[in-house]
Amino acid sequence: MAADVHNKSAPWEVQNGSLVPVERLRFDRSDSPTPGLVEGTEPGAGQERAMFVHAQSFEDLTAESEAQAEEKSEKDLVLEEPREEAKEDEGEEGRDEDAVKEEEESQRGVRAKEEDITSEAWRDHRKHVFVLSEAGKPIYSRYGTEEALSSTMGVMMALVSFVEAERNIIRSIHADGYRVVFLHKSPLVLVGVSKTAQSDRELTRELQYVYYQIVSLLTLTQLNHVFQHKQNYDLRRLLAGSEHLTDNLLRLLDRDPGLLLSAVMCLPLSSSARDVVSSSLQAAKAKSLVFSILIAGNRLVTLVRKKDQFLHHMDLHLLFNLVNSSSSFREGEGWTPVCLPKFNTAGFFHAHISYVEPASDLCLILVSTDREDFFNLSDCKRRFLERLRKRSAYQVLQEALRAPTYSVSQVGIPELRHFVYKSKSSGLYTSPELPVPYQSVEEQERLMGLYQSLHSCLHHPTRPLRSIYRCGEMENLFAWVTSGFELYLCFSPLGTKALAVSAVNKLLKWIRKEEDRLFILNPQTY
Amino acid sequence: MTAMKVDAKVVMLGKESVGKTSLVERYVHHRFLVGPYQNTIGAAFVAKSITIGDKVVTLGIWDTAGSERYEAMSRIYYRGARAAIVCYDLTDSSSFQRARFWVKELQNCEEHCKIYLCGTKNDLIEEDRSLRQVDYHDVQDFADEIGAQHFETSSKTGNNVDGLFQKVAEDYSNSAFELMPEEKGVDLGQKKDSYFYACCHH
Repeated sequence: MAADVHNKSAPWEVQNGSLVPVERLRFDRSDSPTPGLVEGTEPGAGQERAMFVHAQSFEDLTAESEAQAEEKSEKDLVLEEPREEAKEDEGEEGRDEDAVKEEEESQRGVRAKEEDITSEAWRDHRKHVFVLSEAGKPIYSRYGTEEALSSTMGVMMALVSFVEAERNIIRSIHADGYRVVFLHKSPLVLVGVSKTAQSDRELTRELQYVYYQIVSLLTLTQLNHVFQHKQNYDLRRLLAGSEHLTDNLLRLLDRDPGLLLSAVMCLPLSSSARDVVSSSLQAAKAKSLVFSILIAGNRLVTLVRKKDQFLHHMDLHLLFNLVNSSSSFREGEGWTPVCLPKFNTAGFFHAHISYVEPASDLCLILVSTDREDFFNLSDCKRRFLERLRKRSAYQVLQEALRAPTYSVSQVGIPELRHFVYKSKSSGLYTSPELPVPYQSVEEQERLMGLYQSLHSCLHHPTRPLRSIYRCGEMENLFAWVTSGFELYLCFSPLGTKALAVSAVNKLLKWIRKEEDRLFILNPQTY
Repeated sequence: MTAMKVDAKVVMLGKESVGKTSLVERYVHHRFLVGPYQNTIGAAFVAKSITIGDKVVTLGIWDTAGSERYEAMSRIYYRGARAAIVCYDLTDSSSFQRARFWVKELQNCEEHCKIYLCGTKNDLIEEDRSLRQVDYHDVQDFADEIGAQHFETSSKTGNNVDGLFQKVAEDYSNSAFELMPEEKGVDLGQKKDSYFYACCHH
């Protein structure tokens, strides 16, 4: 197997580390994990039913916009400034390698609202995101105040409408090392300005996340309604106080592989304990309950859903973001309307959100269809906790919380620094803690940037790859996608390709061995 | 944690960032959290028991989000409330306009709900009197006009906070006996229908 891959990899290094697609590898279904495993049998695959909507691939996630885009692709317009072209290409090649994202991000984590938009620091941000209404009114800017940007946003809207007047769609402008990406989702227009190595597709995907974030707060129905009613409505009035949700989401997009892979990470927990938690949650049901979700920080402990109702991982990420970017739910039992846009953009669910204990990281989200059902759900939570304590699973859970992650050294591959493994059929992924060289925010984002660029190579719309090996000065990377899983590995720069390929097998065996701890194999329904 | 019996529903209303959450934090957890402003999402519910004479009254406090986004939703939070603490920021006159809006809303929809006007951030005024934008006597006149109680509090120092909630509980305790002897309060363990039957007057 290793040799097989190795041979095929001969012509790989030719251009910029990208690969020709490896021919389909045929392996029989077997218990031993091999890269040929088909969907549903890969390590981490759920045993019976999936928990999530069938969004097994990146294509699925973006299908909606992709289809639209494809349809109109002939008419699509990619504006390029010819004079800058050479410069841009040069810039891109430089970035493709390890030198990506070296720029210091000084203002991370701080809401830099007061920032002067005429300053160099403002211009230096790696990625700007703007949201405006179709009337050109500012709604959100990642950096700087929206008021100060109203003329800039006016220009953006002018560009969009100018191109649309000719029945075209503006998708991106490449100039001076920047990519300006447009996403028009009526009644909103989203614009990303980036000088990272990310492709237009990746940037558009991020804009879609921001769009859904806004929809999750208001519903599309309400959004349409306010703008139909008053075209130049200032949407910031309705979004007041939600800016930090979008800020935090954009940070997650830069750091969390889950949003990239359309997958969710689980809290490592013995399967017996997880089953007790799931069944306790399952028993604490109410008529109006659709989803019961127990999370610990940005990890899923378990999810119980109504039969026939599936949660989309994007909606789950939005819920994670809602809970993790606010201390509001620590205060008492939260009761808030929330729209799950991938489920239904038209209406609100009502979520009972509360921490299991004041100082605990465990947060229970009960998603209900009935806005009058607060006390009933509050009682569900009480019953859940009672049952959990009675079966002494609470102790085990507390124990697991103390070690929410694992070290890559457990796998026993010396050159392996980090990996991300996604089981496609379950929509779950696992990844060890970041080792020493990647612990700073800058390095973490750099590694994520590398994974992102591998991801866009694997999922290239016209010439997708099955695997890719890329050598860099700081690390060597290997990525592999099959019908069952997606795998990204980061090796020390001293590793070799042969080693990387053999590591895949070893790693898959290890994941298979640990799968009942790292994944949710028995998803429950009410 | 067992099913808690809530006697009186109390709702916090007011413009965003006037300090509704801080007020509840101070009263329930006896603390004041410094740090960046965190807006409430939707609403948060806490129950707090308080002894009035020889009786224990449990207040079920709904701390609502001030953001306009939740305005359409606010009825579910104040429906059936026995008391509404309508907050405004003493250093922000626009927040008092918003308070008037809530008072009107309550008068229209919840006539049995007692209103408590609460000017927050009194500590800022004590530090620098020139910051005051809402006159004490103006509010007192308004309170008299609508039959409301009037308080000025500081969640930072804790000044008057317990007094406010004590008054809410006392008023409930007095009126509950006179006006609604049949109402036994709300058992959280009960089904929702019976709960809303018990507390909804409309």
